[in-house]
Amino acid sequence: MTIWKEDEKTMLESVLQLIVSGIAMGFIYALVGIEYTLVWNSTGLLNFSHDKFIMLSAYIFAGTFVIRMGLPPAIGVIASLLVMFLFGVLVAVGIFNPLRSMASPIFAVMGTVVLGRILSEMVRLIWGPIPFTLPNYLTGTYQVGNIVIGRVNIWIIVISSLLVAALQIFFKTTKTGKAMRCVQQNKKAATLMGIDVSRNIVFTIVLSSLVCTVIGMLVIPLFTVDTAMANMIGLKGFSSGVIGGFGYLPGVIAGGVFLGVLENFSTLVLPAVYKDCVGFVLMIIFLLVRPSGILGHRKNLR
Amino acid sequence: MLKINKIDVFYGKVQALFDVSMEINDKEIVSIIGANGAGKSTLMKAIAGLNKASSGTIEFMGEEIGNVRAHKIVHRGIVYVPEGREVFPEMSVLENLEMGAFNRKFSKAELNKNIEESYALFPRLKERSKQLAGTLSGGEQQMLAICRGMMSDPKLIMFDEPSLGLAPVTVSEMFDAIVKIHEVRKIPVIIVEQNAFMAMSISDRTYVMEVGHMVQCGNSQELLNSPTIKKAYLGG
Repeated sequence: MTIWKEDEKTMLESVLQLIVSGIAMGFIYALVGIEYTLVWNSTGLLNFSHDKFIMLSAYIFAGTFVIRMGLPPAIGVIASLLVMFLFGVLVAVGIFNPLRSMASPIFAVMGTVVLGRILSEMVRLIWGPIPFTLPNYLTGTYQVGNIVIGRVNIWIIVISSLLVAALQIFFKTTKTGKAMRCVQQNKKAATLMGIDVSRNIVFTIVLSSLVCTVIGMLVIPLFTVDTAMANMIGLKGFSSGVIGGFGYLPGVIAGGVFLGVLENFSTLVLPAVYKDCVGFVLMIIFLLVRPSGILGHRKNLR
Repeated sequence: MLKINKIDVFYGKVQALFDVSMEINDKEIVSIIGANGAGKSTLMKAIAGLNKASSGTIEFMGEEIGNVRAHKIVHRGIVYVPEGREVFPEMSVLENLEMGAFNRKFSKAELNKNIEESYALFPRLKERSKQLAGTLSGGEQQMLAICRGMMSDPKLIMFDEPSLGLAPVTVSEMFDAIVKIHEVRKIPVIIVEQNAFMAMSISDRTYVMEVGHMVQCGNSQELLNSPTIKKAYLGG
C-alpha cells in the first residue's frame, strides 16, 4: 500500500515538472509566433529566415560578446540587442521594403529564404562549424519541496511574460504602437492619417528582430549553439500560430503554451522520439477541422 | 486655395485623367459629379498624393504639392475621407478618432475637444465609442470616417462618395453633417458623388467629369437647372 502511494507521489511530481517545462517551451513557441506574426500582419509576408535571426543572435551573444570578448552576460544582452536592432533595420530597408511592392509576393518570399541561407553560411564562416555551449549561463535548478525545476525554465517564463505584457502596453498606449496596428489593419487609411507606412514597417521588422534576439539568448541553455539550433522552434512557433489562430497575438500565446505542455505530456504515453511530431500532427488537425484556431478569432475585414 | 493645373494621371499605361484643371476657393463647397469611371476618385487621390500626376501642377496655399508623399499631404492640412470608409476595423471607435489626429501634436484637452465635437455631430458614435469599428453598420462607419477626417483640424477636406451604399435616410444625415461641418469650421469642402442631386444641392459650384476629362464647371444652382445635366445625371 505504501509503495503504491510513493508511486503516486513521484508521478505527481513528474507531471508538475512536465507542466513547468512545457509552459516554458510553450512561451518560446509563443514568442516565435509573435515575432513572425508581427511581420506577417504588417507586411503580409512571411519571414522564412526568422529562425536564422534567432540562431544569429545566439551566436552574436554567446560566441562574440560572452566567449570571445569576455563581457558579463548582462552587458552582452544589451550589446546583442543593439547589433540585432541595426541588423533589423538593414533587413527591412534592404529586403522587405523594396520587395514588398513588387508584382508578386514570391520575390519577397524568395528574398527571405535566400537571406536565411546567407545567414547560415555567414555564421559558419565567422564562428566555425563546431557547435558550442555557454557554460554556467542560466544553468542549475530550483527545488520546491520535491519538485526540481530548471533555472532556465523559470527565466524563460518570467522574461517571456514580461515581454508579452510590454508588447501589449506598447501596442495599446504608445503612438508608434498604435500606428503599427493601423498599418496592419489598413495601409491606405494609415497613409491618409499621416503615417509613413514604409518607415512603420521598418519599426515592425526591427521589433520582430529584437524579439528573435530575446528568444536566441533564452534558448542557449536548452540547445547547443549551432546553425540548425532554431529550426525546430521556428517550425513549432508557426504551428502554434495555426493552432491558436493565425495573425492574432493572444491566440499565438495560447497556441504556444498549449502545444508546449501537450508535447511534454505526450512523452508519458509515446516514445520520446515522437515528441516533435505532436505539434505538426496537431497543426494538420487544426487546419482540417478548425482553421481559425483555438480562440476562433476571425479578422473583421469590412 | 487649391489650384489644379492641367494634370495627367496614368495607371500603368492606361491614362485616367487628361489635362484636368480645377480650382477651389476659400470657404466654398465644390462638388465633382460624373459617372462611374469618370476619374473623380483618381482626381481626389492625386490631390491626396496617393496617385502621382505625370504632368501638370497641384498647388495648395501657394505651394506646389504634386511631389509631396501621401502621408506628408495630411501634415499640410489636406484630409481625404476615402470611398468605402476605410476605418480601422480592429480598433475601437475612440481609437479610430484618435488616429485621425495622428499627424498633429495636440494636447489632451485639444484632442478631447475634437472628440466631443465628433460626438456632438453624431451622438451614435458616443454610444459606441468602445465598440470595434469593424462591427459598426455602414452608416456608422461613414460617420466615423467623416469625424476621423475632422480630428486633425484640416484646412481642406475631401469626401469621396459619402453616400455610397447607405440608406436614403442616412444619406441625408451625412449631407446635413457635411453642411454643418462647413458652417462651423469655415473650410473649403470637396465632395465627389454619384448622387449628383444631393451633392449639387449643398454645393456652391460643381465640376462635371466624363471619362477622364473635365467637361463642365459652374454654379451648382444653374447647373441643376441645365437641361443637359438634368438629362445626363439627374434622371431627366
